[in-house]
Amino acid sequence: PVWGPRLVPARGRKTRYAPPAKSKASRLKVPPPVDPEELLVVTERYRQHRLVLGALRAEFRAEVLQKRREALLPQEGSAELMEEHQRLMAWNDEENARQRARREERLRKEEEERNRQKLQAAESRASMMEAMLKEKEKEILQLQEEAKSFITPENLEARIEECLDNPQNYNFAIDKEGRIVRRTVLS
Amino acid sequence: TLLAGSRLLKGYRGGHVVIRFALGGCTNRPFFRIVAAHSKRARDGKYLEQLGCLDPLPNVYGEKVAGLNLERLRYWLGCGAQLSRPAEKLLGLAGFLPLHPMTVTGAERLRRRRAASSAPSVGPEKG
Repeated sequence: PVWGPRLVPARGRKTRYAPPAKSKASRLKVPPPVDPEELLVVTERYRQHRLVLGALRAEFRAEVLQKRREALLPQEGSAELMEEHQRLMAWNDEENARQRARREERLRKEEEERNRQKLQAAESRASMMEAMLKEKEKEILQLQEEAKSFITPENLEARIEECLDNPQNYNFAIDKEGRIVRRTVLS
Repeated sequence: TLLAGSRLLKGYRGGHVVIRFALGGCTNRPFFRIVAAHSKRARDGKYLEQLGCLDPLPNVYGEKVAGLNLERLRYWLGCGAQLSRPAEKLLGLAGFLPLHPMTVTGAERLRRRRAASSAPSVGPEKG
């Protein structure tokens, strides 16, 4: 019904603290069924509605404050003052925009610089790693070459025989120009 | 003369300004006034300002008539007044505020119910 009696349950003859009737002992109160997708849709609608409402309230508040300020201003020359105020505010906005542009330019340049430094560092690190690898490879090859002349348990006997066969004489003198003298006896 | 302890000057703790409906009229003939009042006042009690009225019964042409003072509404909303749910719905329908979500949801549910009630009545007729 468009305008019917109140559909809210109203307490008739019982007080709030009276016990419920025996016929209602098996009554199970269930909440109304909720459709989850409808709930989602409705929640989203409420969120947007509240957003718009908040924005409208801010608008109206600004209007009210503006009117109050206007009422409080001195009446003579108020038009010129307002105009000058607005001009100055516009100039201030321009200045802010200019500074922001400059600041963003500077930040961009710094960002580029940092990226460049990082790239360079990575490159140098890579080259250093390569150099180290090369060095290590050279050392390994050198070691392999030297390993051919090592003394092993198999070569031991042969090498000992070789050393005993070729006795080395380390008795020599050397001067600063590098000339060696093998003479050990004066005469 | 208004003394400090006068009955006419009621001071509340807390509370806020609300824009809501105040019920008036006679038996079986309601009439609402859209009113800005403190939230702790009685529904039909002293209000700050009347911002409009609403006649919930349709007239001879089938219209429900409502009147709104939008200028003062803006002022009170700018001063931070809250809205009751039926007031929000009415203003949404009027176009001053965005449509309330439950208006749309209610309309969708009604449409679905009508489709559901007409489809099975159409079905057994054909089948």
